[in-house]
Amino acid sequence: MSYSVKQMPRGDLLGSLEQIVMLAVMRLGADAYGMTVRREIEERTGREISIGAVYATLERLEAKGYVSSFTGEPTAERGGRAKRHFEIEAAGHRALNASQNALKNMSEGLSRRWKRA
Amino acid sequence: MSLSTLAVSQWILARLMPPAQAEALIGDLLEELRLQAGSHVSVAGWYWRQLASSVPVLLWASMRRGAWLVSVVTAVASYIAAVLIVLVLQSALWPMTTSSFAHDVIMLLSFVAAVAACGYVAASIRLGAARLLAFLVFATTCAMLANSTGRAPLWYEGSLLVLGPLATIAGAALSGRLRRVRL
Repeated sequence: MSYSVKQMPRGDLLGSLEQIVMLAVMRLGADAYGMTVRREIEERTGREISIGAVYATLERLEAKGYVSSFTGEPTAERGGRAKRHFEIEAAGHRALNASQNALKNMSEGLSRRWKRA
Repeated sequence: MSLSTLAVSQWILARLMPPAQAEALIGDLLEELRLQAGSHVSVAGWYWRQLASSVPVLLWASMRRGAWLVSVVTAVASYIAAVLIVLVLQSALWPMTTSSFAHDVIMLLSFVAAVAACGYVAASIRLGAARLLAFLVFATTCAMLANSTGRAPLWYEGSLLVLGPLATIAGAALSGRLRRVRL
C-alpha cells in the first residue's frame, strides 16, 4: 500500500477556534465585526464565547495575513465608537481549505466507528 | 448598569489593547449591551461575564504582542535606576548634613528628584511603564514603611508615600507634554 503525501507548509493548519471565527466572518460577509462574529458563533455552535476571545483570535489571524480589517463609521448605539469590519484574505481561504481538508482526510472512513461509540 | 461601572471596565479594556482595537471592542460591548437589555437575560451579569472571560484572554494577547512585557521591564529597570540615583545623591550630600532634619529633607528631595527623572524616562519609552513605575514606587514605599523601625518622623513617611508616586506621574506628564510640543 502506498501513500501519496502532499506536503503542506508548516503553520497553515488553523486551530479549531480560528476555523470557527473565520467561518463566522465568511458567513457574515460585509456585516462581520466583533459583536456579530461573537453572536454568530454562539448561535451556531451553542458555545458561549467572550468578545475578548473573538478579538484575540481575529488579531492573530490578521497578523498571519488571513483576515484584514477596516474601520467603519461611528454610530450612536455604540457610544459614538466605530465598528471594525473584518474580511477574509486569499491566504485565509487557502488556510481554511487546507484545515478543512486535513480534518476531512483524517476522519474519512471513521463514521462507522463513531456511530459504534 | 451605572456609568462609573462602565467607565471602569472600559478603562481596564483600554489598557489591554491598542487604542483602535479597544475602541471597537468597547463599541461592540455597548451595542450588544443595548440588545441584551431587550431580552430576559440579566444585563449586568452578562456584561461582567463577558468582561471576566475577556480580560485573561486579552492580557495573554497583550503579553504575546510584547507591549506588556516591555512596560514591565521598563518599569523595573527605571525603578532600579531610581534607587541607584538616590544612593548616589545621598552619599554625595551626606557629608553636608548636620542635623537629622536636614538629612531627612535631603533624603526626601533626592528620592523625589530620582523618581521624577525615572518617570520621565519611562514615559518616553512607554506611557504604561511610567504608570507601573508609580505603582511600584507606592507599593515598595508602603512595604518599607511597614517594616521600618519607626524612628523616622511622620511628616517624612507621609511625604515619601505621597510625593513618590506623584513625582513619578509628574515626570511622565512632563515627558508627554514635551513630546506633544515637539510634534
